[in-house]
Amino acid sequence: MPSDEVQLVMPADPEFLRLARVTAMGLASRLSFTIDEIDDLRIAIDELVFGLIGTKGRPGRVVMRYRLQPQGLEVEGSGLFDDNEVPPGLTELSELILDAVADEHELVPDATAPRFRMLKRRSEPAA
Amino acid sequence: MSFDAERRQALREKFVVFAETRDEKVRAELIEAHLGLAEYLARRFANRGEPLDDLVQVASMGLVKAVDRFEPERGLEFSTYATHTVVGELKRHFRDKGWAVRVPRRMQELHLRLSNLVSTLNQDLGRAPTVAEIAQAAGVSEEEVLEALEAGQAYRFASLDAPLPGEDNTTLGGSLGEEDAEIVDVEHRVALSPLIAKLPERQQHILHLRFFEGLTQSEIASRLGISQMHVSRLLARSLAQLRAAAEPDEG
Repeated sequence: MPSDEVQLVMPADPEFLRLARVTAMGLASRLSFTIDEIDDLRIAIDELVFGLIGTKGRPGRVVMRYRLQPQGLEVEGSGLFDDNEVPPGLTELSELILDAVADEHELVPDATAPRFRMLKRRSEPAA
Repeated sequence: MSFDAERRQALREKFVVFAETRDEKVRAELIEAHLGLAEYLARRFANRGEPLDDLVQVASMGLVKAVDRFEPERGLEFSTYATHTVVGELKRHFRDKGWAVRVPRRMQELHLRLSNLVSTLNQDLGRAPTVAEIAQAAGVSEEEVLEALEAGQAYRFASLDAPLPGEDNTTLGGSLGEEDAEIVDVEHRVALSPLIAKLPERQQHILHLRFFEGLTQSEIASRLGISQMHVSRLLARSLAQLRAAAEPDEG
């Protein structure tokens, strides 16, 4: 089954984080994620995007790519920032949270190509 | 001199004493004396989609700042100065909340209705329901369910450390929680993040169950006897509070 991809380009501002969450929730709903899994996804996206843009945001954009996979939803985020600063990255607590809510995750706090990737699997299809 | 005039004069003198001594007891008295102003201002921001209790807490934090920063020698009335500070704090709260404060009442009501429905579905299905199942049971579209789920999120609190008026050792964060009898792995989570220890007990407990023990939100809801959506809200609130607490104070 070929993967489907949805892209969202948003300002690197926490005000717009909701769009990233809602897009993920809508796609996860198409994949019959349970409400628990959807909440996990929302938490994971918050942690990862904050890891790129910080809690106050920064000048530039974040490109979100959502891929519908047979086993779940893969989300990638890339920062296109104007300030060339190193993103804050993930704290130990964020890592722990992401371990609990995502099946795979990685954030590269690079100054020139900051990015993250995560995968949330669907536990079992609803009957 | 009338009673009110006497009282105002006494408060002015207290501000002078506080400015000189920074005495905690005087500070608490000054905060206590002006709580009515904070509540009055919070009420002016009511009916915008935020619980009044939250607004009163935000206004109270603004009041504490105003008391701490007020300089009586400048000749300004404290009520004028405090109104400016408290309203600023309330506006910042709404600005930080962004879209969330403009959630239509219809969506807030749907959020509450879904909260009960999700609990029922959880029991009936023996697992967490999907969005499609919730939408079907509620007789609304999946988009409306998603919007209502999102409506319960996005709490931001300015500070967990702002002392509560009149209570030296009680913080806003501490006052939000309830005592929980179940003993959890306090040492581990405190070692990981001292910020977690500042959260209300119940929120600490839920964080622990979700992120340290790996329970799902529905399992936590079942264990604590609350709804899944309540757990979801408390988790979102906790994480937002942790982020806010980790931010440097803007002063």
